Amino acid sequence: MSAPAAQTPSSGPMSRSLAAVGGPLLMIGGELRDIFRMLFLTLYYLFRKPVRWRAVVEQGYEIGNRSLVFVTLVLGFLGMILIYQSAYQAQQIVGDLQLLGALFLQLLFREFAPTITALMIATRVGTGIAAEVGSMVVTEQVDALRMNNADPIQYLVVPRFVAGLVMTVVLSVFAVVVCFLAGMFVADRLFDVSPTTFFNTTLLTWGDLIAFLMKAFAYGIAVPVISAHAGLSAFGGSEGVGAATTKAVVNCSLAVVFLDFLLSGFAFVFLF
Amino acid sequence: MTSVLANIGRRWLSLSEGVGQMTLLTLTTWWKFWTTAPDRIEFMRSLYKVGVQSFPIVVVTALLTGAIMVIQSGQLVAQYEAYGLLGWGAGYATLREVGPILIGLMFSGRVGANNTAELGTMRITEQIDALRALAIDPIPYLLVPRFFAIVSMMFLLTLVGNLMALVGGTITSQFLLQVDWRLFVWSLREYLHLSDLFNGLIKSVFFGIAIATVSNHFGYHTSGGAVGVGRAVNSSVVFSAVSIFVLDFVIGYFLP
Amino acid sequence: MIEFLKVRKSFGEKHVLRGVDLTVKAGEIMFIIGSSGAGKSVLVKHLVGLLRPDGGNIILDGKDITYLSERDFYDVRKRCAMVFQNSTLFDSMTLLDNVALPIRKHFSVSLEEARRRAVEKLALVGMEGQADRYPADFGDGMRKKVAIARALTLDPQFVIFDEPTTGIDPISAAIVDNLIRDLSVNLGVTSIVVSHDLRSIFGVADRIAMLYQGLFILDGPPQLYRETDHPIVRQFIDGQPDGPMEV
Repeated sequence: MSAPAAQTPSSGPMSRSLAAVGGPLLMIGGELRDIFRMLFLTLYYLFRKPVRWRAVVEQGYEIGNRSLVFVTLVLGFLGMILIYQSAYQAQQIVGDLQLLGALFLQLLFREFAPTITALMIATRVGTGIAAEVGSMVVTEQVDALRMNNADPIQYLVVPRFVAGLVMTVVLSVFAVVVCFLAGMFVADRLFDVSPTTFFNTTLLTWGDLIAFLMKAFAYGIAVPVISAHAGLSAFGGSEGVGAATTKAVVNCSLAVVFLDFLLSGFAFVFLF
Repeated sequence: MTSVLANIGRRWLSLSEGVGQMTLLTLTTWWKFWTTAPDRIEFMRSLYKVGVQSFPIVVVTALLTGAIMVIQSGQLVAQYEAYGLLGWGAGYATLREVGPILIGLMFSGRVGANNTAELGTMRITEQIDALRALAIDPIPYLLVPRFFAIVSMMFLLTLVGNLMALVGGTITSQFLLQVDWRLFVWSLREYLHLSDLFNGLIKSVFFGIAIATVSNHFGYHTSGGAVGVGRAVNSSVVFSAVSIFVLDFVIGYFLP
Repeated sequence: MIEFLKVRKSFGEKHVLRGVDLTVKAGEIMFIIGSSGAGKSVLVKHLVGLLRPDGGNIILDGKDITYLSERDFYDVRKRCAMVFQNSTLFDSMTLLDNVALPIRKHFSVSLEEARRRAVEKLALVGMEGQADRYPADFGDGMRKKVAIARALTLDPQFVIFDEPTTGIDPISAAIVDNLIRDLSVNLGVTSIVVSHDLRSIFGVADRIAMLYQGLFILDGPPQLYRETDHPIVRQFIDGQPDGPMEV
């Protein structure tokens, strides 16, 4: 009996498939560790060191004002199609559209408004932060910061973190309004549901609002930190900036979906 | 006052220019797709890269999306004790709306951004000019394979993703909602039609076309060094996202 | 033979070329020199249609190529190759495939045959041993050599070198210089070299033309440059920071 010449204990199919799974897992684990480390450092600098409030306001403008049109467009169209589909189906199966507005409002708070807003912020702002910070890294401006004894996290990440968190919550609220109004428009025009019937808050519970805030908060923390992390880990010239922005979008989106899952489950079990 | 008008005018002009460039590029891409033999190596490479890049992410997203939709519908269903409708509630929205949209957004982020970044880097490091200097037309060589790979992968991945979403939903239904999975599956089969699946798939093709068009355009027409690449990726994902939602509405409205 | 006739090119307010005249004879090695940003790269890019002039004409072997379409330029580019300043190799492929790509695209040969020919071209620049590695693994000097190999795959009659020895070590620079000389002597290739490397300029050039503020201020053999009294040229050749030249 002879074993195949080239095989050693560590290169058999079993170990190779374990390595194929283990490799990415280790990498993900490493990334997560770095991201949490950045989060802790950000919070440390936020609470223990002076904050550059002017930068916060500037970033707030960047993130908030500049995203208004984008968020409006996206959530407007989403609201329209959601009501269109639901009303159509409800007419066929249930026949009664009285509670359409009320249920829609609930669903907006619980799920769609914070999550879709966060995904849109991840696309627009996440890439923006990663691109900006990434460019600074590859043009060695970040090194220059370090040389001047300014910690990049305190200088760059904290303002974006604060602004991002605040603006995510604000934009999520804005999203609820826009989406609801869009749905109201469709319900009125196409299904003859009057706005007064549609605007029905009777089903809204504190649980819904808490779930909303939890999600907006969680997303608001995740997106700036993950994007800044992606930006700061850029290397290699313009290729590096491109890679950093891609990484930011992907990681943020995954984080949002994953947090959504966790928080929805949490809300379901504990709040309802 | 005049500066506001000038601002609006300038933005409008640059928007029109961008749209014009994008349209021209897309039409040229389609034209070359039919008239020029593709580069087999680049084709294979694009398909492989796009598929490999996006597959794990889409699977994970789809599973989680299915789970989330079941959780959300679960709350409604519990309010009315209509457990038989859980499959319908979650499944319908997933196949028609949430599935294609979330998969589209994920795909746009993973593949669209990467595509723009790669093309953008090639543009500013003069690799595209180098191709032209070697008398190789960059459009059939670079853009056609990517376009095709993105659209076809988007379709396939939505197909697989929808399946994964239903799987995720079924698991969640069993373990979190304590709704027996057999009831859930029955509900799916009872209330969902093939037309729901097709509706979602048609959307995914259009989303794929949008993502391919937008990401190719912003990458190919990048300018301004490393900063320009970042900006191009930003524009690419933003425009893709808006297109996805607009197309979602248009298709949802006009298709049964 | 290449002729530039009163070529003008501006980018917005910047008038880079103000009506330049230049003739390059077949088989000669012409160096175009001048300070950074003088417009040297801009000028040579017109030869392969990467830029179009705002005025004037460019004649290549008797054919006016000024207003050719992108499509028509493909024939020009097969005869006139360009080696870019930044080497611009394709990062996603090995060195071998970089050189094999134009062969694959322009000659109906199999992939194996294209790669075989690519190895030959790589051997011309001494890089055949590294054929299976990727551009990212190498420094500027070696990448430049591979870029030259790639430019030679279509057996061009004219080759443009955009700052071939800038930023590379002296030994690699000498190899590049020798290559340019060999191309002219052995293959009759006409070379246009954009450079401000004085050692290359005086080592290899048959003729030198200096571009200053959008026009050629001197045009002749190296001897002319060694002996000239022209203050601007003198300042450049002697490398003096102070002088009449505006930078």
